[in-house]
This record gives sequence, C-alpha cells and structure tokens, in this order.
Amino acid sequence: MSTTYDDAAVAVSSVSAPPRRRALLVTSAVVAAVLVVIAAFGAGWFAQSRNHPGEDSVEAGFARDMSSHHAQAVEMSMLALDKSTQPDLRLLAGESAQAQQAQIGMMQTWLRDWHLGPTGHRPQMSWMTDGASLMQNGLMPGMASAADMTKLRNATGHDFDLLFLRLMQQHHLGGIHMVEGVLAETHETDVVWLAQSMANNQRAELEFIQQILTKIGA
Amino acid sequence: MSISTPAGDSSRQTAPPAAKKATAGAGRPPAARGARPSGGGGGKGNRPGGGGKPRKPITPVKVSQGRSWGPIALFTAVGVIAAAIIGYGIYAVSVGPKDWKEKAEGISGISDFRKSDPKLVDTRSHKSGSIQYAQTPPVAGDHNVSWQNCMGDVYDAQIANENAVHSLEHGAVWVTYRPDLPKDQVDALASKVRGQEFTMMSPFPGLDKPISLQAWGYQLKVDNASDERVDEFIRALRLNATLEPGVGCSGGVTATGTTPRELQQQPQGQ
Repeated sequence: MSTTYDDAAVAVSSVSAPPRRRALLVTSAVVAAVLVVIAAFGAGWFAQSRNHPGEDSVEAGFARDMSSHHAQAVEMSMLALDKSTQPDLRLLAGESAQAQQAQIGMMQTWLRDWHLGPTGHRPQMSWMTDGASLMQNGLMPGMASAADMTKLRNATGHDFDLLFLRLMQQHHLGGIHMVEGVLAETHETDVVWLAQSMANNQRAELEFIQQILTKIGA
Repeated sequence: MSISTPAGDSSRQTAPPAAKKATAGAGRPPAARGARPSGGGGGKGNRPGGGGKPRKPITPVKVSQGRSWGPIALFTAVGVIAAAIIGYGIYAVSVGPKDWKEKAEGISGISDFRKSDPKLVDTRSHKSGSIQYAQTPPVAGDHNVSWQNCMGDVYDAQIANENAVHSLEHGAVWVTYRPDLPKDQVDALASKVRGQEFTMMSPFPGLDKPISLQAWGYQLKVDNASDERVDEFIRALRLNATLEPGVGCSGGVTATGTTPRELQQQPQGQ
C-alpha cells in the first residue's frame, strides 16, 4: 500500500500536476470511506433484523406461550412430588418437572438471544393459525383452570393421583397441539429440534400416564 | 501498449525500492561530498564513517515527500472504521431495540424506585412477622421467606404484603385494585393475569387510585383498567424485573389474608 502511494508521490512530483492527483486520491478515499460506512451500517441493520425471529414471529410467540404452559406442568409435578405415594407417579412427576423447567430456560434464552422480551404485546396463542379459537375460558389448550388447581392442592391419596394424571394427560395433549402448530410453520433449527423432542417426550409420557392409570385401577 | 501496461505497472511496483535505493544511493555521494566541505572545515573529512552525519540534512526532504501518503492512507482507514463504529452506534441507540428498563422509564407516570431509592431496592432479607413498608402497596424491601403463588393467580381477597413482595423479587407483576372498582374492570384486569405466570392480582383497600401495579422497584397507578399503560407495564417488567432469574412463581402461598404466612405445611405422604 505505502509503496504505491510512494510511487504516486514520486509520479506526482515529476508529472507536474500535483493538485489534480491529490484531489483524485482524496476523492477516491472519501468515496471508499462512504462505501465502507454504508456497508457496515447495512450489515449491522441486516444482522439485527433478519437473522433472528422478530417480535411478532411464530417462534417468539411459541417460546413465550410454551414457557407459561410448561410452568403449570412444573407446578403440578412439584405438587405430585410433595403429595403422591405412588412410585411410578413420582418418577413421572420428577422427570416431567426437570425436563420442562430446563426447556423453559432454553426458550427464555432464545428470546434473550433474539433481543426480545419475555412478554409480547399480542394475546396468547395468536402466533398459531386458529390459535385464538383454541383458547378455553382464557386459557391455552390443556391448561388446568384455577378451580382445578385448587382441587388438586386439596386432594389427597388416590384422589390426588387420579386428578393429577387426568390433568397432566389433558395438559400434554394441549401441549402437543401447540408443538404441532409451531412445527407446521417454523424452519428455525433450534425451535424445530426442541419442539420435536417435546412432542416425543410428551407422547411417551402419555403412554406412561395410561399405564399408571390402568395400574391404580382407574 | 495495452499489453505492456500491466507489465509496466508491475515493474513499476517492483521498481520503486530499487529506484529508492538508487536515488538514496545517488543522493549519498553528493550529500557526502557536499557535506565534506562543510565538515571539512573542522577536520578535513578524512574519516570514511563520518558520512553518517552529513546524510541527514538531505534525506528528510526525499523521505517526507515519499512517505506522506502512507500515513494519510492509514488515517483514512482508521477514520473509516471509526466512522462505521460511530454510525452503527447511532443506529443502535436510535433505531435498535430498547432494553426493558428504557421501556419502563418511557411509561408516563411510572415511579422508578430503582432510581429514586436504590437503598430500598437493595433491601431484600427474609424476615418473619409483619413488616412496615414506605409505599402502598409495597414495591420492594425485606420480605417473608415464603412467596405468594404468582402463577397468574387471581385472589379474591387481600394477600399479605410480606409474601407479595417476595413474589416481586422473583419477577412477578402484582396487580392491585381498590375494592370499589367496577366488576367489568376487575374482570378486564383478571383476563390479563389469569393463565399468565409471573403475574398475580388481589384487591387492596385504601388505595389512592383505583388500580396500582407493582414490580420490584416500580409502581404505576392508573384510574381505569383500559388504560394502555397497564399492558405496557406488564410487558416491560413481567419477568424482566426479577432479581433471581430462573426462580419461578409456583410452590408459593395460595391462601389469602393479610397475616404473612411462613412455610406452608407439607402433608406427610410417606
């Protein structure tokens, strides 16, 4: 670089038109600078806006709503660990609570990585096609109502086990429905990966729930 | 000509070092010669190594002329990078996503105790029994070891401040309303809370405004449930205002009443 400029300088001094040459060099330097600024600015804007799912994206809606959905499954599972004496049921509850809490962490991390907040400005389920019609009494598919939760807290023994398994069955079925909704619309690698594993886990747990229900004589 | 031009260019690029040496070499003898008479005034120039001094007066002329574009190019490059960084910085501040604190500060009428009372916001020990709070309803401070369940719970009676403040520490938004708030507005508020973990709602007698929203270190009082700042407050602060990321809202006190509840009794299953 510097040698070329040296040449130019030598040439300039010998060619007898230094102001023009200098003006040309300065102009090209300025043009180059402007181009670099525009390129850098554009690259920054592009990276910011295109690389991540946006505020109203299917992926962001799924991450927010599934976090809330999972949180209730964790709450029910923790109650089961406190209250049930059924070894199979306690195993299921422990597994479910750990997996779903970890998955909440993953989904919340996506939102942070995408520079999005944990709360959106659109109603729950609006990210999913026909999502609004799936809301029941203001709750996402499969969610236990406040009354169900109170009943579960107050139940004991066999009644508790039965109610827990039925609520969890409903919860998983609703969750799988939401997972299918996101899989139908996203190509985001991490989202596809986690959603598929959720569907697989929860289908396996549904089978397990059915086995326990049969075992305890439901 | 057109064929020889690239070759000419490339030869020109290799030529300069040689030319430089040539000119420098050519410059030396005259310089040395020219210096000798002046130096010769002192010691007749009989030392061959004495040429070191005389070189200086002339070389700066050539060097300064030859190198002047190097630094300019360098400064230009640095300038371009600096301009790009500044340009991107301006973009990030003006157009880029705002963080949740900026969003909260942008809500008109919000009380930001993280700014006005940093000491209060740093006070967060577990204490049993009743605690006096300077704000009504409280927004931060010492609290009970148990938190109020904040899984979108809509409580129909007053809850204990000492448990509720612990929920705020976990990142919950606590919606409170004066018991004389019309039922349709209570329902409208409840629909924003129910099924949405990291929120909870309860009546609060004696409020100076019909509705008051709390997050850790923040408070907003409004007159109507349809005020759009209610949603803005929840959106900016729910989960974000947590002091303990990852800690949840379940497993808390679900009973109502203003007496703080210690750890809930667990049934003896086994």
